Amino acid sequence: MSVSVLGISGSPHRHGNTETLLDSFLAGAEAAGATVEKVILRELDYMSCRGCNVCHKTGLCVVQDALTPLLERILAADCLALASPIYTMGITAEMKGFLDRGQALWAQKYILRTLEHSRGHLACHAGVFISTAGMGSGQVFDAAIPAMKAFFGTLGFEYSANILANDMDRYKGIRGHPTALVDAFKKGGEIVKTLAACSQ
Amino acid sequence: MRFKVLAFAGSPRRHGNSETLLDWVLAAMDESEDVSVEKHALTDVMVAPCRGCNACEVLNRCVQRDDMDWIHDRIIEADCIVLSAPVYCMGLAAQAKALVDRAQVFRSRKYVLKLPIIPPERKGKRMGLFVSTAGQHWDYVFDASVPAVKCFFHVIDVRERDLRYLMVNGVDHKGEIDRHPTARGDAERMGREIVERLRTLQAEPGAG
Repeated sequence: MSVSVLGISGSPHRHGNTETLLDSFLAGAEAAGATVEKVILRELDYMSCRGCNVCHKTGLCVVQDALTPLLERILAADCLALASPIYTMGITAEMKGFLDRGQALWAQKYILRTLEHSRGHLACHAGVFISTAGMGSGQVFDAAIPAMKAFFGTLGFEYSANILANDMDRYKGIRGHPTALVDAFKKGGEIVKTLAACSQ
Repeated sequence: MRFKVLAFAGSPRRHGNSETLLDWVLAAMDESEDVSVEKHALTDVMVAPCRGCNACEVLNRCVQRDDMDWIHDRIIEADCIVLSAPVYCMGLAAQAKALVDRAQVFRSRKYVLKLPIIPPERKGKRMGLFVSTAGQHWDYVFDASVPAVKCFFHVIDVRERDLRYLMVNGVDHKGEIDRHPTARGDAERMGREIVERLRTLQAEPGAG
């Protein structure tokens, strides 16, 4: 079985800086033998979390929409790459709306204790955050990272890498960045090799 | 009315912890005869996420037509803007993040088009408040939400020194805030203090 990599783009732009960086990561993963798949959140019809807390009792979300099967697919992936540009010092509302829907899995794991991940499972499942930002400050990603950490932790992925490229305004886009796309490609290959060794 | 307070209840859950905390603040503000309070729940309005098209950098308005059209005008008119939102997954609930991101039009106006957000005579005279609750007890649970909130208030011309925070952690299920030992008193005190400061700012000469 080859390593499966699922990339999710939370950018409202198609083929913009963030998705292009994700594509490079996925291409690197595919070149290393992985099966890759990409999901564009903007093309899905879904609601954000309603905050009803019903899942704290049932473990199930009362909302059934396009995210229902997607969350299932995520649990079957070996590597999850979440990509979002930085808007107002955080991830986009599309990506946040998606992450917030992980609450039912959070409830399964931390309240109902029906979802467990062994240390071995974590070692074989990688979470990667991919992001771009217009601003020059390297700190522009800091406030996005805790949400990623929480989501990866809940779903049983070890938070393995950040692939970040800031200063997009100065570089006039990701293709003007001297190293980001190559680095993302390499990282995709590295992670797949690690995960392939792990599953053997 | 001398002072217009514009409040957003940014939780997908109506009358939950963050909205109750907001209501306590607003009730304390409303006690003053010179204050009018207007509250909107984001569940009742349609504010789509920012599309990141950057057209506002040229058009000076958003290309999307939804409730942000009138919310935009109310934000300009208000003397105090209050944003309440719970922390979900270590950040602002998505509905509140969508509103914050749609303030991009103000950022474009301010930094790209170099146009005023509010008339010069009102500069330095408005206040902002962020009201939040979180289920987790961690003292750092609000940290990742604050940078976005700071940006939001900054681009709508509320100075950082005029921005206040009322954040209560460790309240998850509906109604838990009612049993919090200090939340209600803190909220009421915050409401009164802000009104007092609005009066002080208005009495001050010149723009800030």
